[in-house]
Amino acid sequence: MDIRQVFTIVNQMQLDGTISDYAIGEAVGATFYLEPVATLDVDIFITFRAEPGQLLLNPQPIFDYLTARGCTMQGEYVVIAGWPVQFLPPPSPLVEEALGHAVTVDVEGTPARVFTAEYLAAIALQTGRAKDKARLLQFVEEGRLDPALLQKILGSHQLDGAWQKFQRQFLDNAP
Amino acid sequence: MTFDLTAIIKSKRDHRTRLAMLPIAEKLRLLDGLRARDVLLHKALPSRRAAGLPVKKLKVES
Repeated sequence: MDIRQVFTIVNQMQLDGTISDYAIGEAVGATFYLEPVATLDVDIFITFRAEPGQLLLNPQPIFDYLTARGCTMQGEYVVIAGWPVQFLPPPSPLVEEALGHAVTVDVEGTPARVFTAEYLAAIALQTGRAKDKARLLQFVEEGRLDPALLQKILGSHQLDGAWQKFQRQFLDNAP
Repeated sequence: MTFDLTAIIKSKRDHRTRLAMLPIAEKLRLLDGLRARDVLLHKALPSRRAAGLPVKKLKVES
């Protein structure tokens, strides 16, 4: 089990033109900035190569590419190097924008594309599950966010209200 | 060792910060280890979790 092999094969898939761009999100993405937290899968957000005349996003070329290289399918996951990996199109304009601002991090010689801390935090706020709020709180407590940049992102995606509510719930000491 | 809750909380936070500041390759190795442990634990459960797979719906539409 070696998660770096996931990055290697996804990088190669990008070089071979099966996907245009990618960024690691959710728990694994957050690990680039925070303490590692147990997770069962790797979520990779991607932009597909647009095929002429194609209206619907088709993940089949990705599955074909990976299975041809020995990866196995398990349900909706592709298992790469022992890790279930899910490839996802951006579910919102925020995630689409985050993909455009993803950064490349060197992992002992292997490049990995990952969302910035501010976008991971904004996506967590937008997604809003309990575990997302916990992750957002970690980002705040660890001081890993640029407040001005975060505010700009939140403002652009109408998340100011959600942020104020989050602050009241988790950051304000007043009852 | 102390039973002072304030000191315990501070100690936990300091430990988390130390983990967060590890080199990324080291953190990813920890992640590999955490997943290996989770897979082992989930094997004790019936259902698809036995394969170490999370239970969630496919989000990609074809």
